[in-house]
Amino acid sequence: METIQEIYLTNPATKKDWQRFLTSQGLANFSDQELAAIDKTFAIYDDQDQMVGTGSIAGQTLKYLAVAAAGTSKGARFNRLVSTLETTLSQDGIFHLFVFTKLQYEQSFIHVGFTTLAKTNAGLILEKGLPNVASFLAALPQKPASAKQVAAVVLNANPFTKGHRYLVETAAQKNDFVYVFVVEEDQSLFTTEERLRLVQEGTSDLVNVVVATGGPYMVSSLSFPAYFLKDDSQRVSYQTRLDATLFKEQIAKPLGITSRYVGTEPLSQTTNQYNQALQEVLPPEVQVELIPRMKESAENQQVISARTVRKAIQTGQIQDVTDILPATSLSFIEKYLTDLQARIKKGQKIDGN
Amino acid sequence: MEIKKTALAGTLESSDVQIMVSQGTNGLEFDLVSDVAKQFGEQIQATIEDVFAAYDIHNAVIKVVDQGALDPVIKSRAITVCQRALDQVDQPRWEVL
Repeated sequence: METIQEIYLTNPATKKDWQRFLTSQGLANFSDQELAAIDKTFAIYDDQDQMVGTGSIAGQTLKYLAVAAAGTSKGARFNRLVSTLETTLSQDGIFHLFVFTKLQYEQSFIHVGFTTLAKTNAGLILEKGLPNVASFLAALPQKPASAKQVAAVVLNANPFTKGHRYLVETAAQKNDFVYVFVVEEDQSLFTTEERLRLVQEGTSDLVNVVVATGGPYMVSSLSFPAYFLKDDSQRVSYQTRLDATLFKEQIAKPLGITSRYVGTEPLSQTTNQYNQALQEVLPPEVQVELIPRMKESAENQQVISARTVRKAIQTGQIQDVTDILPATSLSFIEKYLTDLQARIKKGQKIDGN
Repeated sequence: MEIKKTALAGTLESSDVQIMVSQGTNGLEFDLVSDVAKQFGEQIQATIEDVFAAYDIHNAVIKVVDQGALDPVIKSRAITVCQRALDQVDQPRWEVL
């Protein structure tokens, strides 16, 4: 009789056995970054106490899933593992999960109730459970039936600057309706709630613009983890294509989005790579409008960047950045300056995104 | 009755059925993944919806992954998921059985 149990990778012997098994199954990325994300790990052992299957949970994502083909049915072990991981997540109140995997395993996951969100040559991402992408779309404000040209802008807006405002305004002038999606991931100096509020306040005069968070589907730690962590460029290239494909298939298509507006990116290599991936993946169904970044002033040809604002918050020299902030963002920063500075002191990074 | 929280019952193992239930606003929205959906899809749906009717649940999103479960298994998993979704696991409703 095969048994399934939770195993603890803090035990060096267990961890070694687990890595040996995964390596034999062709999984070999044991970077500290990946391992640190694991919350729980389960393993199946056969009669001889040999590991014949394992799977882990990291947040709401299934990871390091592998089953040996020898002995009983491979499918039975796979189903048992996925089921155990899912039940464990449900006990923590998580009913919505994701998995990244290789193309050859797509059918195995579909067979246990997953649906494919995005697929590229290098791999795919699937989700299962509720709320899912359909409920995410249903909760968004509806565009008027007359809207034909529909644009989307995805912003982290950490915080919302006149540069962001210029991008949204340009999209609003040239389109009937604009969706502004604020990155939901709460890893930035300004919290998701604050970023969302500042974008809403800073665009409230634009009548054909709605603001919402992008859920786990746009530039999230799920669809595009490298945006938040330094990573090698091959992985960035894979993730950016996956994120772009997800946007095209699951967001743009059902919402009738015809173009996506992005700012040119002279400063961040990762974001630049992301823009390239969008240009490769989205057309012809969705046009990519690359808008030159707004400059700080006629004398100062530096492009407006939220990073400049974050640096000014750190040093307390807000007077240097008043010109590049909308009044709504500026008054928020002035009001909460000491709080924001305290977050930086506590270790919040301000160099990345 | 209103669904209080999202709930899950059952497993993905052979001869079992896994049912997830969440709040809905548009009647019983039923979704089934099964190798035998063609032959038994309607029967599986009827069995589950009967249980929901017995619990007086008229609005819910129901996601079912079937691995060839027999009717009594489907029924018992449906009862469990309803009790969990209604937050009534400590008050079994024997009359539904």
